[in-house]
Order: sequence, then C-alpha cells, then structure tokens
Amino acid sequence: MSMVAGLRRRVEGWARPRRPEVLPARLDRRRIYILPTRFGAFVAALLLTMAVGALNYNNNPALLLCLLLVGASLASLLWTQLQLSGLDVRAVHGEPVAAGVPMPLHVHVEAAPGRERRGLRVSIDDSEAPLSLHDAGGEATLVLPTFRRGWLSPPRLRISTSRPLGMARAWSWVWPQARFLVYPAPETGGPPLPDGGGDAAQARLNPAGEDLHHLRDWRAGDAPRTIAWKASARRDALVVREFERPQGDDLTLDWQRLGALDHESKIRRLARWVDEAERNALRYRLQLPGQPAIGPDRGAVHRHACLRALALLPEAG
Amino acid sequence: MARDVLALDSAGRRWSLLAAAVCLLPLLLQLPMPLPVAIAVAGAIASLMASRGATPGWLRALLALAVFGLILAQGGMHFGRDTGCALLAGMLAIKPSELRSVRDARSLLGFALFAPFATFLLDQGPLSLALGLAGALLVLAALARLSEQESALPAASVRHVARIGTVAKLVAIGLPLALAAFWLFPRLATPLWGIPEMSTARPGLSNEMSPGDWLDLIADDAPAMRVSFRGPEPTTRQMYWRGPTLTDYDGRSWTASRWLRDLPPAPVEHGAPTWEYEITLEPTERNLLVALEMPLDLPQGMRGAHEYTLTSDRRLDRITRWSLRSAPAVRFEADLSEPMRRLALRLPPDFNPRTRALARQWRAETVDDGAIVDRALAWIRGEFAYTLDTPLPGRHAVDEFLFEYKAGFCEHFSSAFTVLMREAGIPARVVTGYTGGTRNAYGNYWIVRRMDAHAWSEVWLEGRGWVRVDPTAAVAPERIYDTLDDRLGTGAAGAAGGLLPIADLGDWARQMWNDFMLGFDAERQQQMLQRFGFPDMDTGGLIGLFSLCAVLALGWMLWLVARSERERDPLLRAWHALGRRYARVGLARARHEPAHAWARRVLAANPHDTALLALTAGFTAARYAPAPSDPTLLRSLRAHRPARETDR
Repeated sequence: MSMVAGLRRRVEGWARPRRPEVLPARLDRRRIYILPTRFGAFVAALLLTMAVGALNYNNNPALLLCLLLVGASLASLLWTQLQLSGLDVRAVHGEPVAAGVPMPLHVHVEAAPGRERRGLRVSIDDSEAPLSLHDAGGEATLVLPTFRRGWLSPPRLRISTSRPLGMARAWSWVWPQARFLVYPAPETGGPPLPDGGGDAAQARLNPAGEDLHHLRDWRAGDAPRTIAWKASARRDALVVREFERPQGDDLTLDWQRLGALDHESKIRRLARWVDEAERNALRYRLQLPGQPAIGPDRGAVHRHACLRALALLPEAG
Repeated sequence: MARDVLALDSAGRRWSLLAAAVCLLPLLLQLPMPLPVAIAVAGAIASLMASRGATPGWLRALLALAVFGLILAQGGMHFGRDTGCALLAGMLAIKPSELRSVRDARSLLGFALFAPFATFLLDQGPLSLALGLAGALLVLAALARLSEQESALPAASVRHVARIGTVAKLVAIGLPLALAAFWLFPRLATPLWGIPEMSTARPGLSNEMSPGDWLDLIADDAPAMRVSFRGPEPTTRQMYWRGPTLTDYDGRSWTASRWLRDLPPAPVEHGAPTWEYEITLEPTERNLLVALEMPLDLPQGMRGAHEYTLTSDRRLDRITRWSLRSAPAVRFEADLSEPMRRLALRLPPDFNPRTRALARQWRAETVDDGAIVDRALAWIRGEFAYTLDTPLPGRHAVDEFLFEYKAGFCEHFSSAFTVLMREAGIPARVVTGYTGGTRNAYGNYWIVRRMDAHAWSEVWLEGRGWVRVDPTAAVAPERIYDTLDDRLGTGAAGAAGGLLPIADLGDWARQMWNDFMLGFDAERQQQMLQRFGFPDMDTGGLIGLFSLCAVLALGWMLWLVARSERERDPLLRAWHALGRRYARVGLARARHEPAHAWARRVLAANPHDTALLALTAGFTAARYAPAPSDPTLLRSLRAHRPARETDR
C-alpha cells in the first residue's frame, strides 16, 4: 500500500503545474488530466466483451448497440474534459485563523459563458467542496488545516469532475502562488489581562478604585458607603468620595514584562490577551522586542495588525 | 473509496430500476410464456424489497432459487441458448434486491446492458431493436443521474428532459464513430466459437417430413427469404426454391438419405434462360439452404448433396446472403445407377395395400412411365381437393388419403404421389422447399414467406432424368404460386388491398435494414468497399481506412461536444453573442462593467449606436422581470450589429 501511495505521489509530482503559479490560471488541455474511473474500466471491459461476442456471432444489432455505447462513452470523455477546459481560477483567498483552527479557503473561478459547468469539485487532501458556475462565475470554500503560526502557502488544489456519466474523471491542478496568515494559537488558561501602565489622563473614575480623586455632591443612587461623612458634616451637605482606577484602554501588552516564559508561550499569551482585550472593548498597545509599539487602538484592523506581528515574530533561537 | 459506497438517493433508484426494466422487457418478450410473468413478478418483489430497506439474505436466496428452478424446469433440464438468456433475465430481475449504494446501481446498470444483447441472440426484429435501444439510452440517463448525485447536484436541479437530451446528444455525437467502426472494422469471416443451440426449435424446412407437421409452418407469414434478381426474372410458376430432397420413406415420414449426403452432385444439363439472383435468408437455426431449380454453380460455403440438397457449412443463426445462378434443368441425372434406382424405389413392406393394387393395375395396362404419371395427375386433378383441415393419419396413410379423404395439402399430395409412383415401379422422391413469392413494388425484390413452404415430387423418366411433378399444383395452383391471394383471402380485397402498399413499404424498409445492418458481414463489407472504389482491400488497408474515419469522427465529436454545451437561456445566449460582436470592434464589455454603463460607453465611443442603449435596457428589464418578457427583444438582440465607423 505504501508503495502504491509512493508511486502515486511520484506520478502526481510530474503533473503540471510543478511550481506555484501566479493567478489567474487558465486550465487548458496541457494541464487537464483524464483517466477512467473504476466504473469506467468496468464499462470498458463490459463493452469489449459485448463487441467480441457480437463480432463472433456476427450479430449486427448487438454490435451496433455496443458501438453506440462506445461512441457515447467516448463523447462523454470529451465532455468531461471540456467541463474543465477554459476554466479560469481567478483568486484564492484564505481567511486568517489561529493555528490549529481549519482555515476557510475561498477559490474563485470564472469561465467564458456558453458552456454549462456544474458539479465540479475542488479538493485539497481530505477537504472537498462542490463548485458550480452560475453566470460564468463560481466560488468554492475549502477548509485547510493549520498547524503553526506564520505564513501558510496553500498546497496544490485539485479541480475535478466526473460528469456526465461518471466513467472518467478529469482533473487539473492549480498551485496558487499565495500565502495566508495563520495567527498564533492563543494559550488556554493563564493570568488575566495585566493592569495598564498608562498615564492618568486616560484614567477613568471608578468607585472601586483606591486613589481618592475628589469629592462631589451626593446624587440619588450613590452608595452609602461612598459618602464621606466627615466632609459632609463639615459642609452641611452630603458629599461623595470619588476614586479613580488606571485600568484604561491604554492597556499595554509588553513582551518584556512577561517574565520567565519561553518564546512561544509568550507569543501565545500575548495572542490571548489581544483577543481578550478586544472582547472587553479595551484599547491596547502591543510592545514587541525590536519593533515600534503597535497602537494603542482597538478594532478588527488593530487586532489583525497585532496578531500579524505576533504571528510573524521569528522563531526562538 | 468513500464515494463508491455513497447511499443511493430516490431519484437514482427510480432511474436505475426504470432502465433495468426497459432493458429486461424485450428479453422477456422472447421467452416462452410462464417465464416472463414469473421473472417480472420476481423483479417487482426484488425492487419492492430493496425500497423497504435491507433485504434478508435468505429471502434473496429463496427468490433466486425459485426463479432459477422454474427456468431450468421450463427448459426441460436441457441447457440451450434460450435457457441461458432466461437465466440472465432471472438474475437481472433479482439484482435490484441489493440496491443500496451508487455502486450497486452501477453494477445493476452494467449488468442490464447484457439483456438487449441476449435479446438480439434470440430475435432481431424491429420491436426488440427499438426496446433494446430505448433500454440502452435509459441506462445512460440513469448513469448521468448517478454521476449528478456523486457531484452533489440535487435531483431537482436537472430536469428529466435535459438529462435525456444530454444522453441523446452524447449518442448522436458518438454516432459517426460507431457507424465507421460498424462498416469498416474488419469482420470475422469465421467465428472463434460457435453460438449455443436453442433448446426448442422453430418449425421449418428440415431433413424430415411427416404428414401434418407443417401446419404451423404454413400458418406462419414471417419472411423466409428475400430474393433480388439481376437480369431476367422467372415467372412465379418457375419459382421452385429447392430445399431438402427426401428419399427414404418408412410408411409415415420422409427423410433425406444419409447415403446421398456425401456423394458429389449429380450431373445436370441446364437449359435457358439463366437467372442471376441474390438470396437474403432469414436465420433458421439449421444449415439447410434453398436455391432456384437448378443451381448452376454453388458459392463458397454452400455444399450440394447428390440430389442437390443444399447445405451451408455453418448453422444459419443470423441473416445470410447467397449469390447464385440457376437455369431450368433439361436433363438431371439422365443415367440413374442401379443403387440409386433401388433407393428411389424402396418402400416399406405391408403398407398401403390399396395403393399398391392400383399401381400394379396401372402398370399392367401400360409400360409407358410418362403415361402413368399423366394418369395419376389427371386422377388427382379430377377428384381431389386442397384443405389444411386434415385428420391424423392412421397406419396406411397413403391409402387413407387416396381413397378416403381425397383432400389435404402439399405434404399429403407429394407423399401419396411419390408412393404411388414407386409402387408402379417409377423411381420417385419428395422435394421440399418454397414456391412462388411476392414482388415488392418499392424494393425490386421478391419476398418468400415461411407459409410458401411446399413439397412436390420428382420422378425419373428415361432419357429426361428427374422431372418435377407437382400434384398439389394440379389441384390448387393459386394456393401455391401466389402468396398474395392466400393472405388476402377471397373477395375481401378492398381494405386489405389498400393496406398493401404500406405493408410493402414496411417490408422494403426492413430489407434495407437487413442489407446494411443485420446482414452486414465480411463479404458484404468487401462489396461495399468495391462500390466505393476500393477493390481487394486487405485487413491492413481496412484498418488504415477505419483509423482514418475514426480520427475524422473523433475530430467531429470534439467539435460537436465543444459546441453543444452552450448556454440554455436563448436571451442570455443572444446577449453574449452581441457582446462578442462588440468585442470584435474593440468595445468589449469589461468584466466589472454593468450592462448599462457599457452601453453608455459604447454610445460615447460611437454616437450613432443609439439602439444599443434601448436594447440593453430591455435586456436588463427582461433579466430581472418575473414574468415572460417582450418576445421581440430576442429577435432584436440577435439582429443588432455594432454601428459602423463610416456611419459617422
């Protein structure tokens, strides 16, 4: 079995394209391969038996029927090949995901109108998606397994079809020259977000804080424990203490302050903190060694910038 | 393979069962009566069981045993070609009981294709052909459905008509290749292995004849052969198609003599004229042939016994074709050797005493053989009648016929006449074959039906050799020479007479079909090539010619396939064609460009082209309209051409 698999891999290695190519890529006869399916081989054996029998008995109706079936089968082979021929693979786009999460890979194809192309399949290894073109365009979404952070180059895509009779399968390889970002996998568990070391101007008042900021007049709804009784007695009106806490948006996620973690664990922790800060709608800044700080900011673009920087950090050592 | 065990959906199941049923139908029609019903019932049970889910193995085995047991019992435990075909039908009927995955369905469909094939071994009639073709088309359509399921296309997304259309298109595209292979592929002149025999035979001419056993044959109006003459044609009275000659008589049956089978043909002196003709013989499952009396030379593959009983080297399981020349005999074996004479006079003792007495009496009155023959014919003409309604013969069959019933058909007449002659000491024998025929008005050929089967006598006269005497013709010539009168009955010529041209036309179509399809063989292939100017083409040359035609046909296929898969919506097709016309003058619509923006850009580039804007608006409206749109739009789209630069 392994020998068969090895042989298969080697044969596939000869198939075009042999190196990544710039999209759009047009499928033409030089890169469309076609082989009978197992069922096709069965039909071929069956028709051969019929033809030999009919020729032997000189039974012309049987021979004619057999030849009609041969003709139709051959026509279906051409038909199968033409399902792929002229197909334009315009773009391949992978959505960034954390390592370990399958990446959705969108394959966008177009073709000149005029030929019906339905029931095609796009596949990578185990992942397979149907592809039908409507109004000369179509899209299939595959899932690509991811294992580690950084750039991921897609493997060769296989676009195949066995329509209209299932007797032969035509396929073509597309090897897009593209790279898709894989974010670092966030750690599970671990410490909560650190306190910010930001400046006080950005701090927000918070009754749960520790530093007394100022006193103000009591308003309905203020908790009794926040009332400054001494000051109230002095002023003859209720005043309330207000505290502040520097928890602000201006959270700094600093590589240097992570202490004695190993390289990858630091990256995974920072990745988790970025996600968590984003979830809590906090503004944060990412400080990585040897590069300017990113932010402070928040939102999808900022998150992408931070996770991208983390994903692309060089390996340890 | 995970895909192979994909569970079959209901549309795929319906299509597969339908295709298998239609494939099975022509085969069932060829089987003897209780079998088709039993097999059809078994098929229905198997299909029902499969649709209810998994079928228990013992139930399947029981069903199979019942069907196969019935088939073998029906064949009388004798295994012939028909038994084999019945077994195939039985297996095909039970197969649907295991129909769960796409793979099961595909093996069922592959197996079903053998059913028309088996049918053609039994029968090559138009009904079998039509049903077989329909079955094969449905098999392809079912395969298309299975492939759709495999490609994750739901059943509703492709209409049945479209699926049938796709299959018909595939067949039509492959047709040139199929026909090139059919006509040009080198044919086997001799088969590699023989075709298995039938366990039950159809009545026909044979080496044996007993009174009464031709009743089925005489009622059968199926064609026995078709004959086309080159040059002069004989009259219907001269059309005696000589088949087996029967010399031995055991008191009941006439049989061909084994002694004469291996002797060379007797010498014949032929007279004028010479008739040249070609016989297209329907399959008979025997190797007996017929030829117009008397053949001048025998073509390859045909052998003549001493008394000109013609046989083929091979059994006639299919339509065969024989080119022959014949001329009336002037003298046929004028010198009769003593053993031959004794053979032609031999009669079993203790049979037909009254006939013997009559013959002895006639012999005593004259020594002239010819006078005795004439006297017998005159007696028969005067006192006998023609009827198909005859009683079963007793021990003295000839006595009963000559002195009691005085009515019968050709078997009785020829048998009794021959016995009478032998009793009178004149060497005589029975000859069987066909007489007469019907001319086809369209095809310039004669059709001889199985009901034209006939038996007559030959007597040996000094100086002339064997002379044909047809005692039946003395009684009822119209029943012998003219099949037409027989078929039309008496008087009722009105309605049937009106239908006759249609029947003739139908038979003519059948003859053409026989010529180029059923009867096509190695010899016919050479003839066809000669007509196209390739005399003496050997196998190598044939393969070369075939390859050339095959390559041409493949090119044609490629072109057709590339062309035929086009946009279905005529409006969209017209729109795309319009776009291409503008692309040719450098005003192609960009991929991202909305139709309207494009039309405006075209107008800016060429201010004369005002119509396009309106057309585009119409097209856009039609594309988004829920109801059918303006029918003139399609025509306008097709007619519109980019305005020329010179218009400016």
